[in-house]
Amino acid sequence: MTHPGTSFSPIPADAVAWLGTNPIPAAPYYDPAYFERERRAVFLTSWIHVGHACELPEPGAFVRRDLEFARASLLIVRGNDGIVRAFHNVCPHRGTQLVEAAAGRQSRFSCPYHMWTFGPEGDLLSAPDFGAFHLRKEDCGLKPVALQECAGLLFVNFDPQAQPLRDWLGDYAGRLEQMPVARATTFSEYTYEIAANWKLTYDNFQENYHLRFVHPRSGGAGVGGDNPFGYPVEIGFHGPHRTQRIWSNPDPALKPFQRAASFCGIPALAEQGLLTLPHGRDYLALFPNLFVIGTPTQPFSHTVYPLAADRSRGVVRVYWVGEDASASQRLAREYALAQLRDIHSEDVGIIERGQAGLASGALSHIHFQSMEALCRHLFLEVDRRVQAGAAGPEQRG
Amino acid sequence: MSGETALPPGFAALEPFVAGWALPTTAARAARRGEATSDEREQFFAAASPLVASALAHLDARPLHALDPAEQRLLNLLLALAHVGLAVEMQGPAEARHALGRARMQITRAVADAEPGA
Ligand code: FES
Ligand SMILES: [Fe+2]
Repeated sequence: MTHPGTSFSPIPADAVAWLGTNPIPAAPYYDPAYFERERRAVFLTSWIHVGHACELPEPGAFVRRDLEFARASLLIVRGNDGIVRAFHNVCPHRGTQLVEAAAGRQSRFSCPYHMWTFGPEGDLLSAPDFGAFHLRKEDCGLKPVALQECAGLLFVNFDPQAQPLRDWLGDYAGRLEQMPVARATTFSEYTYEIAANWKLTYDNFQENYHLRFVHPRSGGAGVGGDNPFGYPVEIGFHGPHRTQRIWSNPDPALKPFQRAASFCGIPALAEQGLLTLPHGRDYLALFPNLFVIGTPTQPFSHTVYPLAADRSRGVVRVYWVGEDASASQRLAREYALAQLRDIHSEDVGIIERGQAGLASGALSHIHFQSMEALCRHLFLEVDRRVQAGAAGPEQRG
Repeated sequence: MSGETALPPGFAALEPFVAGWALPTTAARAARRGEATSDEREQFFAAASPLVASALAHLDARPLHALDPAEQRLLNLLLALAHVGLAVEMQGPAEARHALGRARMQITRAVADAEPGA
């Protein structure tokens, strides 16, 4: 074990000099017109995380996912062939939304309006009085949306010309596959709505500068000694994506029950081989709006979905391998969820306060220091796309 | 003691807490943390936290799906303690204010709500 005082070597500022040091314009964090350009140039042309394969364990298992940025509702379903597909949750007859349930399992999906009925591969199986339409059934299937999977994580892309997901993720695909999420069979989840821009929200979770101020009680183990801000030990960039390696506090101030409730889950994790995975202190920030964290005791994903220029929805999932098998395992998982939720709940108010300040228009620019480099990188990647006007599918509403 | 509040032998000291804290879902336990008074939380924490190791030793002796109702209540108390421990050990005097932010984070699914694995 490293001794306190010698555990941390700060990342030198010139490691991120290539990102520049200029102030960043403030309007992209609140301006509805920018948001509209972003919606098209970023969200309708990027691979967006929508779920996990473990939600769809068998043929006919489905989830409905509403993606406000696309004004779309998706039906994501595992076919009888075992393949997971995404369709617009829209009946091709006259547009009625097909599925109302958030999740379930069905062998066929019938539209309540005139009973057109579809199989789990999206094909039209039957339609009353179909002969009167002068159509062919094979032309009347559900409208697909590209869906691909990496490490169990499901992503959709509304751009028919999108590059394959694995090319998009590049080297980070292999890292994802070595994280606990890739082996997950179940998860716990909490969600929040926030009166803040998606970038402002997301940025909060990719800088540690705020930890000691916003999380003075809950975040105690992540700061201290010679790393009072809890800065990361490594950061990296890969195309539009980025990563941080979280500092391991050699002398964390753990409370007695915290220790008991956390450590009682360790034997099961060890037995499952999850403690020796290579990215246990890493998180991946996958463009545009997903984090995946490899920490074996608290392996979570966090997605920030944009709703409007000043409104977003966060979805946090803690992923686990196997159902709870013992009381100790169940307690550790309950504590991991509650503790993470405690920390995140401290962020929401301060982020909204930032939005309220920015929305006044008082600032023309905001500032990122070198240890907020990941925030700067996100802005640069977004803005490059917005300025290029890579508008994606032009017709989309 | 017997009936609805009975706990396994050795844990009778926690029976007064069963009605208030042995709740069946993660969301209910999280909500109860926020609704309780600080006295209620502190009394529960003071009584239960010294028994965590012995309770886990007792419960871990059998698979989760084989727990009898008294053991299930004991487990639910431990799971409530996961929430109360955060209030008492971490938040302390900040707990009331902390609850406001927490209320924004809606628990929509929890592994502890599922049937236990074999
Ligand atoms: S709109 Fe669906 S069957 Fe008519
Ligand atoms: Fe935070």
